[in-house]
Amino acid sequence: MRLVAEGLSRSFGTRKIIGPLSFSLENGRVLGVAGENGSGKTTLLRVLAGLIRPSGGSVRFFENDETEGGLQPRDAYSLLGWCAPDLALYSELTAEENLDFFERVRGLVPTPGRTLALLEDVGLPLESHSKKSLSFLSTGQRQRVKLAYATLHDPGVLLLDEPGANLDEAGRAVVQKVVAAQRTRGIAIIASNDPRDLGLADETLSL
Amino acid sequence: MKSFGSVLKALLGLGMAAICWGAFLYARPAQNFVGESSRIVFFHVPQAWVSTLAFFVAAWYSWRYLKTRRIEDDEAASAAARLGFLFCVLATVTGSIFARVMWNSYWNWDPRETSIVLLLLVYGAYLGLRGALEDPERRATLSAAYALVAVVTVPFLTFAVPRMYQSLHPDTVINVRGKVEMSMDIRIIFFSSMVAFMALFYWMWNLDRRVSRIVRERAA
Amino acid sequence: MSARAPAPLLGAALAVLRKDLLAEWRTRIAVNSLFLFAFAVLVLVGYAVGPTRLAPEDRPTVNSVLLWIVIFFSAMTGLSRVFVKEEEAGTASALRLAAPPPAVLLGKYLVNILLLFAVTAFIVPLFLVLMSFEIKCPSLFVVLLVFGCLGLAGASTFTAALVSKASAKGALFAVLSVPLLLPPLIAAVSGTQIAAREEDFKAGVDFVRVLVAYDGVVTTAAFALFDAVWRE
Repeated sequence: MRLVAEGLSRSFGTRKIIGPLSFSLENGRVLGVAGENGSGKTTLLRVLAGLIRPSGGSVRFFENDETEGGLQPRDAYSLLGWCAPDLALYSELTAEENLDFFERVRGLVPTPGRTLALLEDVGLPLESHSKKSLSFLSTGQRQRVKLAYATLHDPGVLLLDEPGANLDEAGRAVVQKVVAAQRTRGIAIIASNDPRDLGLADETLSL
Repeated sequence: MKSFGSVLKALLGLGMAAICWGAFLYARPAQNFVGESSRIVFFHVPQAWVSTLAFFVAAWYSWRYLKTRRIEDDEAASAAARLGFLFCVLATVTGSIFARVMWNSYWNWDPRETSIVLLLLVYGAYLGLRGALEDPERRATLSAAYALVAVVTVPFLTFAVPRMYQSLHPDTVINVRGKVEMSMDIRIIFFSSMVAFMALFYWMWNLDRRVSRIVRERAA
Repeated sequence: MSARAPAPLLGAALAVLRKDLLAEWRTRIAVNSLFLFAFAVLVLVGYAVGPTRLAPEDRPTVNSVLLWIVIFFSAMTGLSRVFVKEEEAGTASALRLAAPPPAVLLGKYLVNILLLFAVTAFIVPLFLVLMSFEIKCPSLFVVLLVFGCLGLAGASTFTAALVSKASAKGALFAVLSVPLLLPPLIAAVSGTQIAAREEDFKAGVDFVRVLVAYDGVVTTAAFALFDAVWRE
C-alpha cells in the first residue's frame, strides 16, 4: 500500500483550510500530522478518507505496484479505516451489534468469535459490553469500540484523528498495538498534538 | 462586442413596444372569447412557455454541474430557476385574470391550472432548499440532485390528471389537430412575442449569471 | 485480507435494514410518531366528518381524499428519520466509509416501505370502519395502496437524504416532498374514488399504470442521483 498526495488543498468558500500539500507514504510507514488548533488536521484526514472533496490536487492510493493510476479515496473506501472524535457509532446498539453491523455492510461474514476477538483486541472483555448499548459505555470505552470499527476489515490505510483522546494508559497501549499491527499490512496516518500519539509515527508533517 | 449587444437590446426594446402596439391596437379580438380577453394570449402563453423552458434549462445546468462540479453551472441553474419562478408567477396571475373574465371564476383546477401550480411548487421547493443550505458546494450539489429528480417526476402530472375531465382551457397553440389555428395577423404578433419573451429571458438570465460571478469574485 | 472487494449490494442493504429495525425497536421513535399521528388524525376526521355527515353520493370523493391525506401526512412525520437520525447522531460518516452508497439507499428505502406499509395497514381498516367507507373493488383498492405507498416511500426516502444535510429539516421535508408526490397522490386519489364507485378493476387500471410507472421512474432517478447527495 502506498499513498501519493499532490498539490492537495481544501478551502471552504473563500477560507483556505489546507494546502497545497504534497507528500507520499510507503508501505509499512506511519505518518504523524501535527499543527495547532484550526490548522486543518481533521480536514486533511477527512479529505484522505474521501469524506470531503479536495478543492485542488489529488490523493491516490496504490494497493501494489501494478495498480495503474491508483485509487481515489472515494473508490477506496473498502481499503480505508477511519477513527476520529467526530465519528459516532450507533448508541442504541451494543458494541458487539455495532461491529457485527459494520462487518456485514463491508461484506464480511461476522461470526461471534471474530467479533469478540476484535473487542478483546481493544481491551473490552465480554462482561463489560455484552448486554449494554453504547450509550452506557464511557467515552474511553467508546473510543476503543471506534478503534475496533476502524480496523475490523484489515484496512490498508488507517486514518487516526486524535486516537489517544480520552484513553487511559491501557487504552494508549491498545493504540500502540493497533498502529504496530497496521505497519504489517499497510500505512497509517495519525493527526494529533499529543507527543504520545506522534511518537508512534516515523515522520511528522507539520501543518 | 459591446456595441452588438447594445443593438440587440435596442431591438428587443423596440420589438416589445411593437408587440404591445400590435396586441392592443392592431389585432382583432378572437371569436368565442369574452370581450377583449383574447389579447392576453400574446403575453400569457409566452410567459408560461418561458417558465417551462426555464425549468428544463435549470435541470440541464444541474446535470452539467454534477458532471463538471463547476460553480458557474450551478449559478446558471439557479438563475434559470429564479427567473422561471418569476415567469411562472406572471403566467399564473395572468391566467387567473383571464379565467375570471372568461369563466367567471379566478380558479377552476383545470388541468392546466393544476400543472402551473405544480411548477410553482417545484420552483418554491428548489429555492427553499437552496435557502436552507449554507455551504456553496453542498447547496449546488443537493439542489442539482433535487432539480433532476423533479424534472423526471413532474411530467407524471400529465398522466395523473385524466383527459376524462374536460379542460376549459382554450386549445394549446399547436392543438390536437396539429395545426396553428390563428389568423395571419395574430400569428405574426404571437410568434414575435414568443421570440421576444425568450430573448428577454436569455438577457435576464445572463445578467443574473454575471452578477453571481461578480459577487463570487469580490468575495474571493 | 478479505475486505478488498466492496460488499455485495443486497447483503449490505439487508444489513442496513436489520440495523435500522433493531435501533427502531429499541427506541420506537419513528413508529411512535407515525402511529400516534395517524391515530390522532383518524380520531379527528372520524369525529368531525364521521359516517353520517356526508351525503352517500359524496362519500367516494371525500373519503378517498381524506384517506390519502392521512397516509401522506403520516409519511411526512416519520419517513425522514432514516437519514436525519444518521446525520444528527453523527453516525452518517461511519456508514459512508463502510457501506456501498446504493446499499445505503436500498436499505433505507426498505425500512421506509416497511414503516409505511405497517402504518397503512393500521390506518385503512380503522378508516373504513370509522367512516363507513365502502369499497366496491377491493382488489383495485389494495393495488393502489401498495403502489401508492411504494411511490411515497421512494420519493420521500430520497428527499430525506437531501433534508438531512440542511437546516430546518422538518419543514423542508414536506416542502421538498409535496411537488414530487403530487402527481402520484392525484392518481392514487382518483383511482381510489373509482374503486369506491365501481366493481370493475379495469375502470381504474389507468391510475395503477401511472403509479407503477412513477414508482419505476422515481426509484431509478433516486438511485442514479443518490451518490451525489450522500457523499456530495
